[in-house]
Amino acid sequence: MKKIALVLVLFLSFATVAFASGNKESVSSKMKVGMVTDAGTIDDKSFNQGTWEGILKAGEDFGVTVKYLKPTGTTEADYLKEIGNLYDAGYKFIVTPGFKFETTIYQAQDKYKDAKFVLIDGTPHTPDYATFRAEKNVVSIFFAEHESGFLAGVATALQLKEGSVGFIGGMEIPPVQKFNWGFQQGIAYANSNKGTKVMLKSENVIYQGTFSEVAAGQQLAAQMFDKGVTAIFCAAGGVGVGAINEAKSRAAAGKNVWIVGVDVDQYADGVYEGGKSVILTSAMKKIGTAAYDMIDAELKGNFPGGETLVFNAVNDGVGLPVKNPNLSSDVIKTVDAVFAELKKGSIKVSDEQGNLIK
Amino acid sequence: MNSDKLRPLWVALISVLLGLIAGGILMAFTGNNPVEGYIYLFKGGLMSIERIGNTLATATALILTGLSVAFAFRTGLFNIGASGQMLMGGLCATALGLSLNLPKPVLLPIVLLAAIIGGGLWGLIPGLLKARFNVHEVVATIMMNWIAFWTVNYAVPSFFKGEYLETESRNIGVNASLRVEWLTKLFNGSYINLGIFLAILSIIVIAIILNRTVLGFQLKAVGFNKDSAKYAGMNVNRNIVLSMVIAGSLSGLAGATFYLGYASNIQIGVLPSQGFDGIAVALLGANSPYGALATAIFFGILHSGKGFMNAMTSIPPEIGDTIIAIIIYFAATSLLIHKFLDKIKAFIKGARKK
Repeated sequence: MKKIALVLVLFLSFATVAFASGNKESVSSKMKVGMVTDAGTIDDKSFNQGTWEGILKAGEDFGVTVKYLKPTGTTEADYLKEIGNLYDAGYKFIVTPGFKFETTIYQAQDKYKDAKFVLIDGTPHTPDYATFRAEKNVVSIFFAEHESGFLAGVATALQLKEGSVGFIGGMEIPPVQKFNWGFQQGIAYANSNKGTKVMLKSENVIYQGTFSEVAAGQQLAAQMFDKGVTAIFCAAGGVGVGAINEAKSRAAAGKNVWIVGVDVDQYADGVYEGGKSVILTSAMKKIGTAAYDMIDAELKGNFPGGETLVFNAVNDGVGLPVKNPNLSSDVIKTVDAVFAELKKGSIKVSDEQGNLIK
Repeated sequence: MNSDKLRPLWVALISVLLGLIAGGILMAFTGNNPVEGYIYLFKGGLMSIERIGNTLATATALILTGLSVAFAFRTGLFNIGASGQMLMGGLCATALGLSLNLPKPVLLPIVLLAAIIGGGLWGLIPGLLKARFNVHEVVATIMMNWIAFWTVNYAVPSFFKGEYLETESRNIGVNASLRVEWLTKLFNGSYINLGIFLAILSIIVIAIILNRTVLGFQLKAVGFNKDSAKYAGMNVNRNIVLSMVIAGSLSGLAGATFYLGYASNIQIGVLPSQGFDGIAVALLGANSPYGALATAIFFGILHSGKGFMNAMTSIPPEIGDTIIAIIIYFAATSLLIHKFLDKIKAFIKGARKK
C-alpha cells in the first residue's frame, strides 16, 4: 500500500510537470481508433452497439487498436472531455455516433487538428446553428432513415394485412423523426398500392423523450397493445428495449404482438420461449459498415475529410435484414421489389414531415 | 494532539484508502495493474492545467450539493432532495437567462438569485411539511425530486425548447453564462467557470454561520437534541424550515453552476447525479463545510480522471464507474470505521489499565 500512496503523492505533486511528457507511449505504425458513446450504453442493441461492432470488425480485419469511452453525462463538456482522453491516449481516429456530437466536433476539429473524426448522423456546427463548418479532418455521415423506415412500413403492412400499428420514438430528433415519417409513408404506400388495410392513429405515435428509460418504453408499449395495436415500430434505443420486453411477455402468453426493430437487426433481442422472436423485421442503418468503411479509407490513405456522405438505398446503406424469419416469402419478394424501385428512384420517400403525424 | 478533533479526518482517509484498495482489487480481478490504473486515474484528473480546470469544474456542483446535505444534517435533517433542488435552481436560472436581455453584470446576479430562490422553495416545502405535520423529510425530498424532474420535462419543451431539439433548452447567451473568457483562457479552454468561486464563498459563509453565529448554534442544537433545544426556548420548527431553505438554496446554486457554467443548457430526462453524490460528499466530509470542499475536489479528480484511465488501460468504462462507486460506498460506511476506531481505543485503554 505504501508504494501506491507514494506513487500517488509523486504524481499529485508532479502533475503539471508530467503533462509535458504525458503522451510518450511507443508509437506503433498501427492506427488507434477510438469511439465515444452517445447517451446509453455500448450494448444498447442500437446506435452505440452498431457503431462499435463496425469498429471491432475493423480491429480484427486490419489489426488496428480499438477503444470506446463512455461519457459521464450528455453535455458537450462531457463529450469533449472523453475526446480529449482518447486523444491524449494516442487515439487519433475518433468515431462519434450521434447527432448530439455536432457542436462537440465543431470544437474538437480545431482543438485536435491532427486527429480525424467520423461524425455519424451529424454535421459540425455552432450551438446556435449559425455556422456550419467541417474541416479536412472531419467526415459527416448521414443515413436515409426515411427509406429504411419506408421499407419497414411496407413490410409490416404486407405481413399484417390489417389492424393497427404504432410508433415509439426516443428523442424527437431528425434521424428518429425521419424513421417515423418513412414508416408512415410505407404503410400508406402498401395501403394504396398493395391492398392492405393497416391503420396508424396519431395517438399511437409517441416520442418518449429519452433513449434510456427502459421502464417507460415498456409502459408505452403496454398501453398501445392494450388499445389493440399489433405492431410497434421502435426507434428509441433503450426505450425500445422496454417495448421489446413487453412484447415478449405478451407473445409468450399467446398474444399476437410484434415489434419492428431499428438501426441494427434486432431479431435476436426479441427471442422468447420456444425460440420465436417478436421482431417482425428491422429498419436498419448500416452504421457499422459506415464506421468500418471510414477506417478502411483512412488506412488506404483516402479519408474523405471535409465531405458529407449519405448512406441510402442506392449504396445499400439502409435496408431490412438479410434474413426475416417472421416475414412470409411473398412479403419478402414484394419488399425486395420495392427496394429495387427505391434504388432506381422510381419510388421516392420524403424526408420531411409534410402532413404526416408528428 | 487533540485526537477527537482530528478523528473525522482519519476516518475519511481510512475510508478513501479502503475504497482505493477495494477498487484496486477489482482492477486486478479484471486483469489490470491497479498501480498503473490509479496513476492514470490521477493523471487524468491533474496532468495538465486544462484537466485541473475540468476537475474543479466537475467538483463545483459537488461542493455545493455536499454542503447542502451537510448543512441540513447538522440540524438533524437528511436532505435527499439535492438533485431536485438543483434541477429547480437550474430551471429558474435558465428560464430567466433565456428570457432577459441584460448586460452580464446585471443578468448574472439575477439568474443566480433565481437559482437560489428556486432551490430554496424546493427545500421550503419539505421543511414546512416536517415542521407542521412531521412528514419525514427523506420521503418528502425524494418526492420533490420527481416533481422537479417532471416539471423540467414539461417546462423545457413547452417554453424553452431549442430550434431543432425537443429534449433540451436553447443554449443560454454569453451574458447569462458563468463561463468567462479570462478563466477559460487561464485554464487552456477548460470548463472551469465562476461557479468555483461561488462554491468556495458558500463554504466560507456556511462555516461562519455554523460556527460563529447564534443561528448556527441554534440549528446545531436542534440537530443534537430537538427536545432539549425546545426546552431551552428555541423555536425548533422555525429552525427546521430555515435549515431546509438554506440547504435547498445551496443546491439551487449548484444547479446554476451546473446548467449555466459546466453545461450551457438544461436537458430533460436527467436527474442530476451530483445531488446523490452530494450525500457521499457530506458523509465523507464529516458534515463539515471544509470537509465537503476537500471531498468534492477528490471526487472531481476521480470523475474527471476516469476517462483517461479507461483510455490508457484495458479497464472498461463500466469498471471505471464501479471503482468510483466502490470508493464512494466505502466513504458512506464511515460509521463502521468510527465504531472500529472506538473499539481500538477501548482496547488500548483496557490494556493500559492492566
